[in-house]
Amino acid sequence: MDAGLLEQMLLGALLGLSVYLPLRCGQLSLATPGFFAIGGTVAALLSTREPALAGSGSTYPITSVLLEMAIAAMLTGVLAMGLGRVVLRLRGIYLAIATIALVEILRVVTLNLEFTGGALGIFGIPQPFDSAAGYASFTLALLALICWLCDRLEKTRPGRAMAAIRDDDLAAASQGINTADTKLLAFVLSALVAGITGVVAAHFFNSWNAKLGNFDASITTLAFVVFGGSRTWLGPVFGGLLLTALPELLRPVGDLRLIVFGVVILVGPLFFPQGVVTPELLKTLKRRIRLPPTPTAQGGKP
Amino acid sequence: METLLQVLFNGLSVGAVYALFALGYTLVFSVLGVINFAHGAIFTLGAYFTYLLIGGAVGANGLLAGLQLPFALPFWLALPLAGVAAAALALMVERIAFRPLRDRGSDPLLALITSLGAGVILVNLIQLLVGAESYSIPVGTLGSLPAALSIAGAKVRSVQVILLAIAGLLLAALSLWIDGSRSGKALQAVSEDPITAQLLGINSTRMIQIAFGISGFLAGMTGGLVGLSVSIAGPYFGIGYGLKGLGVLVLGGLGSVPGAVLGGLIIGLAEACVPADLSGYKDAVSFGLLFLVLLIRPQGLLGRPQSSKV
Repeated sequence: MDAGLLEQMLLGALLGLSVYLPLRCGQLSLATPGFFAIGGTVAALLSTREPALAGSGSTYPITSVLLEMAIAAMLTGVLAMGLGRVVLRLRGIYLAIATIALVEILRVVTLNLEFTGGALGIFGIPQPFDSAAGYASFTLALLALICWLCDRLEKTRPGRAMAAIRDDDLAAASQGINTADTKLLAFVLSALVAGITGVVAAHFFNSWNAKLGNFDASITTLAFVVFGGSRTWLGPVFGGLLLTALPELLRPVGDLRLIVFGVVILVGPLFFPQGVVTPELLKTLKRRIRLPPTPTAQGGKP
Repeated sequence: METLLQVLFNGLSVGAVYALFALGYTLVFSVLGVINFAHGAIFTLGAYFTYLLIGGAVGANGLLAGLQLPFALPFWLALPLAGVAAAALALMVERIAFRPLRDRGSDPLLALITSLGAGVILVNLIQLLVGAESYSIPVGTLGSLPAALSIAGAKVRSVQVILLAIAGLLLAALSLWIDGSRSGKALQAVSEDPITAQLLGINSTRMIQIAFGISGFLAGMTGGLVGLSVSIAGPYFGIGYGLKGLGVLVLGGLGSVPGAVLGGLIIGLAEACVPADLSGYKDAVSFGLLFLVLLIRPQGLLGRPQSSKV
């Protein structure tokens, strides 16, 4: 498979996880492309304007990329903490639209500011890897790490609290769960994942502009999660990989490819209302390949 | 030099478009509690239908290249017909993207995705059939009307006057229907509680179809009007309006008809007040406004607060 496409799929999976985290506690936040754009802009600005990061080798040093990630994570994290306190008081579709508004405001501001390159954006972002395969393996490692963290999260107290809030906000609160803090945690984690992904994407795309975080992106990333399934982290990963690849895989059908893409997201939820990957499906699969189901899937730790 | 009256007129005519757009969302939202993301695509199709019905020819880049209808209707006839075609399309969207989910009792959130899918299909179908180029509805369409009228010293484009007049007419008809007719009352009952309404002998499915039909009709007419006043900037041109309409909808309060109108006018006027050298920030102004209102009044300006229970 083409490594460039693989890299895009992996980025899609990461963005899917970013939408999945708030949705896991029932919060439909579409702010992911906004934080993604912030991460990308941070990477683009630092790597093109800061000579100290460039290093001496022929390729841009990985340590600088990691440093950009740390800075992007800090920035998006702090921003999400501030914004989250305010927007998470909203519910359901109101939250979704408030976050779309945030993404749009951010896009318009980036489009008009001088130092972000305006409509053209920033070009010539240095490359830490010679090939797309290098990017793909780096991103695969990142994805694996974040998946592992999500898996841990699902089995620990905050993760369970998120699931409880998703099932019933008030009931969870009455059981002593701090719903405001738990929602905020999910929102901040989502922003961190999106910001870090933006850093990798900026280097991979080689240029960065305001178009990369817009309304379309909000909805596409939501489709990753709803199509893949929002009850386990495997769902958004699957959805992100598949739905990013689909328009490319459909290239042979030419002009029809986006129509076929539309048909897939139209029909998918009809046949898989819980998303394609559900905890039940995973259990069945585990039984099929004769692995004992993990005890934590049932009862969990005290 | 723009006079205050001119700014007011620009704001009102843009605001009227937003209001009509938001009303289409509102009708569907009030009966189903979900947002129809295919609404922008239906709006776009309304514009193309209008263009074709007044006798416009398809450009060279689509499967239908060179197609021209054998007749050319006057704009006054083409616009409502485009509305009817758009309504038919909205009913189709309801049938394939909404009803199957309802029949299975699925999570309403899924309708966001299925309607988005329907929208993607429609937009790309347009691109496939008539190409991505922009079309404009010729000024001559309006007959002998002058391009601009002079009202109290301000120059106002006559297109804007027509747009405002039609929008006002549609809004008045809609509120008369909702508050004054039996079926309008039935619609309100369904939006209050579909199951109780069904028990009281109202055919909920029928009311949902009516909501979709009217919402499609409004979207189609609005598309034609915007096509006339600005131009049809390609298959994706409904998306920007769709997004703004969504903002208007929430600003005014989800499910509230007067709220949608108020929200549209506020955002239209606010945008018209942005000075020309800062026009790049226009979209940020409207969404900033929306954001602020959400924080102060989460249910929107005229919406009812939701109560929640376990």
